[in-house]
Amino acid sequence: MGKKELKVAFLLALRSLQRGSKSSVILTVIIIAMCFTNMIFLPSMLNGIGQSITKQIMNYETSDVLVDPKLGNQYVEDKDAKLALINGMSGVQRASPHYSKAATLKYRQRVLGVTLRAITPKDEMLVSPLYTKMVAGSYLGEGDTGEIILAKPVAGDPTIKREDEFQPSLGGVRVGDSITVEFANGFTKDYRVKGIYFTGWYVADATGYITWSDMEQVEAKTLENAEYITVKAKPGYSEKFIKNELIQYGIPDRVQTSTDVLAKNMGRVLQSYAIINVVSLFVSVIITVVVLFIIITIKTINSRRQIGILKAIGVDKEVIMHNYGFQVIILAIMGIILGIILALLLNVYMAYNPIVTADWTTSLYMTPMDLAMNSLILFIAAIVAGYLPAYQVSREDIQSAMRA
Amino acid sequence: MIRISDLRKIYQMGDVEVRALDGVTTDIAKGEFLGIMGASGSGKTTLLHMLGLLDEPTSGQIVIEGTDVSQLTDHEKTMFRLYKLGYVFQDYALVPDLTVMENVTLTAMLRKDRTEEQYRKEGFIVLQKIGLFDRRDHLPRELSGGQQQRVSIARAMVNKPDILFADEPCANLDSENSRMVLDLFREINEEMQQTIVMVSHEEWHKNYFHRIIYLKDGKIVSDEDNH
Repeated sequence: MGKKELKVAFLLALRSLQRGSKSSVILTVIIIAMCFTNMIFLPSMLNGIGQSITKQIMNYETSDVLVDPKLGNQYVEDKDAKLALINGMSGVQRASPHYSKAATLKYRQRVLGVTLRAITPKDEMLVSPLYTKMVAGSYLGEGDTGEIILAKPVAGDPTIKREDEFQPSLGGVRVGDSITVEFANGFTKDYRVKGIYFTGWYVADATGYITWSDMEQVEAKTLENAEYITVKAKPGYSEKFIKNELIQYGIPDRVQTSTDVLAKNMGRVLQSYAIINVVSLFVSVIITVVVLFIIITIKTINSRRQIGILKAIGVDKEVIMHNYGFQVIILAIMGIILGIILALLLNVYMAYNPIVTADWTTSLYMTPMDLAMNSLILFIAAIVAGYLPAYQVSREDIQSAMRA
Repeated sequence: MIRISDLRKIYQMGDVEVRALDGVTTDIAKGEFLGIMGASGSGKTTLLHMLGLLDEPTSGQIVIEGTDVSQLTDHEKTMFRLYKLGYVFQDYALVPDLTVMENVTLTAMLRKDRTEEQYRKEGFIVLQKIGLFDRRDHLPRELSGGQQQRVSIARAMVNKPDILFADEPCANLDSENSRMVLDLFREINEEMQQTIVMVSHEEWHKNYFHRIIYLKDGKIVSDEDNH
């Protein structure tokens, strides 16, 4: 195939699309665009869920690196020394200790069991975006005592009847209200609600936070141990670097990156998502191949006599085949471009209207690489689907083609 | 120019053997305007298709300009048709999505011995000759039947073929347009010494032919010089 042959094939293809049935071209492009959107939507959605869960776990559970007790220990011991050591490391932005205790919250006639978390608010601000998630009141201050911040689902909504609640709550606690907290060790105290937050992460949204000094009151001692410590890396430092640094500095506790934690906890979920993605991709590709195969087959069948004539006047079968090939390529490119536009619009729409469930909030997550890969897969599928009937018809002998 | 020896084409229709061509032997000279005539089913179109390399004979030999065409591969036959032969079909057979100019220059575009400038120039010349230069950007469906057939002739002529084959080119035209087309063939034949082989069943067409072969049941029953 020389340049001239390709030029003629392209001219025939272009003119056929330009001057042939417009509705057929539009319909085909829309079908390809829909197939592309279908190919990208579900995986992006599942990726979005995965990303959202990952981000939320990192934001509210592990940060970049999680230091928790080694096997056999209940606590990370000597936390002050460890915090000083970790905070002095080159790649560490901040380390934040955590301590939690089961408690029963009481407000008017409502009683709710939760696990309250104790934090040092200034440290936590450098590790978790919790302080940005306040929907009412304000975040805990470093020296606060007798104050608590509650998740919105825990505080509840006074307009929703108890029997209509999705999850049990305190029935509408507001900022400034006083609630009674009875801890598992029997310590009971009234706390003023300083703020109400909502993170979108079901674990963080099923609890409340008090300051470290308040928890020391609960335990009636200075808390030298932490349940776990979350460590935030400075920009430009990887979590793996921090993990290695912690190990090198001789931190005796279990040190895990967020990826390590997620691999253990989310690995199977993400694996299931990957399987669903492959199935969805396969179905979309098959649909595209079948649709384009049918369209090009119909086109070639309708043009059999013309194909016979072209061969009769000296147009090589390769030119005829590439004519249909180019038509498919042009249709596929147009369909993919429209598909990308639709996918991006959908992405923007879902960014403003995320899917909210009780456990997580998510929108689509698609990278330029996802768009490029799906475009390539669809493009190859389209070429295969278009060239098969084109190859068949271009090999038909002139007499039978001209008699059609 | 063309030597045809004992050409046979036999179709098997179930148990019945149909002899579309039954031992045709003749020569066609360069510059000749040959008419192939006969009743429907006599084998005229089959013979034209054999000569134009559009169909394979069951047996026999066709030698065009010293080339035994039965020895050519499929690709070589395509190239032979592109470089040496021109065709005009009964139903014009233009590509509906191409303009008049694009239709005319389509095959010239494929030739290795033509630059874009050359084939465009030749396209303009041939369109001027058939009187459709002003309609070069029109689509075939915007032309009358006679005009479409003239475009078809222009397409066949643009490559300056050795032999021009025409299969009942006036079958779909009224007498005025038929005369116009036949006049054009005569002009091409006389001015350019173009060899033309034309199939027709209209008796009045024979006035245009130099020589007329009559076929009946796949055999030549008469070979008349009409000069």
